[in-house]
Amino acid sequence: MSYLFDSGNWEWLWTGNNFKFLLEGFLVNLEIALIGIVISLIFGTLLALMRISKRRVISVPAGIWVDVWRNLPLILIILYLALAVPSSWRQAYADAIPGFFPEALQDELVLGALLGLVLYNSAVLCEIMRSGIQSLDRGQHEAAASLGLTYIQQMRFVILPQGLRRMVPATVSQLITLNKDTTLVSIIAIQEVIGRAGNITSASGFFGGVPAPVLQVYLVVGLLFVIVNLALSRLSRRLEIRERERTGTTIERVKGIEDQVAAETDVITSR
Amino acid sequence: MSELWEVLTEHLPEFSSGLWVTVRLVAIAFVIAMVVGTLVAAMRIAPNRWLNRAGGIYVETFRNVPLLVLLIIAFSGFPRAGVSVSQWVAGMACLGLYTAAYIAEALRSGVFAVGKGQVEAALSLGLTYPRTMRRIILPQAFRTVIPALGSLIIAMIKNSAIVGGSLVALPDLLKKTREVQADTAQPDEVYFWGAVGFLLMTVTVTLVFRYLESRFSIRR
Repeated sequence: MSYLFDSGNWEWLWTGNNFKFLLEGFLVNLEIALIGIVISLIFGTLLALMRISKRRVISVPAGIWVDVWRNLPLILIILYLALAVPSSWRQAYADAIPGFFPEALQDELVLGALLGLVLYNSAVLCEIMRSGIQSLDRGQHEAAASLGLTYIQQMRFVILPQGLRRMVPATVSQLITLNKDTTLVSIIAIQEVIGRAGNITSASGFFGGVPAPVLQVYLVVGLLFVIVNLALSRLSRRLEIRERERTGTTIERVKGIEDQVAAETDVITSR
Repeated sequence: MSELWEVLTEHLPEFSSGLWVTVRLVAIAFVIAMVVGTLVAAMRIAPNRWLNRAGGIYVETFRNVPLLVLLIIAFSGFPRAGVSVSQWVAGMACLGLYTAAYIAEALRSGVFAVGKGQVEAALSLGLTYPRTMRRIILPQAFRTVIPALGSLIIAMIKNSAIVGGSLVALPDLLKKTREVQADTAQPDEVYFWGAVGFLLMTVTVTLVFRYLESRFSIRR
């Protein structure tokens, strides 16, 4: 205990640029998570449309695709892609990324990490979207069809707007998981918060010549995640309760993802 | 195609030993998670404000910190403070304590679902509070949360790979997959079999829990 609270072991925090350096790393995590969730939403919606298609040649392969990716450890996917993505793609990524993006994202290694996050999260979001659509009353489809809308129009104007609305709370809780998962990209040497924390602790006194103990540095890193994720889970709970009051229906949770279980219990216990 | 089989037949011992380590890691961590999770859930529903609060802090902390950070703190941070932690202890404890937060929440919601009426009925029959919990509430709560537990075990299998992939480097399926890949330099084939190993575990758990749900679960 005395080691933990010894003020000498906390001196690094207010010395030089240590804290700012960590915080900038944490922002990279948040940016990767944000970019990841936006791209995953697009692909997840496309996958969901394929999964609910009446043509089995489309729905069956989409189903297998989604079930495989969401049941694999994300770290396995990322490690594989770090090896398997051709260097020409990585080069193309490094050339294409606009200059105003943060420096850590300019690294060509980020492509593999982003691809991995998108493959995994688009599969999860596809399932969230699908249960959002399936929670809609069948009458919505039938009414739209009897108004003479084509399948595409039904989807575009009736089903998707409602389905997307219903998936918002579950997507926010998936964002919590994604936030935590962004730390995994440190394993393929991307300079986010874990990598930077490693820098601070490795050389004795990275800034200002004050040694930074591992335990204290990572406790601070953990605290940063708690602050952001706590805010997100509060937001998700609020949205969920509002959505339930408005529509009176519940959407089924995606299996195998811890924060989806937590979101469900949050709502049940806050009644 | 033949290369794919070759990789498996030549490196089957590595893959199977990795799979076995992952299975043991998840099994032990699940026991820890159940025990700690039940305790924390009991704290959160106990008729005492301080216990509620302590349980709440536990859940919000372990739920919101990345597992990788927990592993680094336990495996790399604690030894500097004079507490040495082995690979297995770090892996089991972090995975277990992380999942315990979710199990606590799931159990709490299960207890909520049983309903106040039953607690009041049991108490008015003269059962003590602990006895009411053990005999009346918890058996029903566990049956309500079977689907959530299945979901959490699948999440645990996936999260266990972080133990092998991080600096803890427990020789689990992920670690072994990386080693075989470093050996053969055939990423496609090697990671294919690593993925098959993980899917075998997640699919088995899915099927087992589908059966348990149909057999024991209380739908509400």
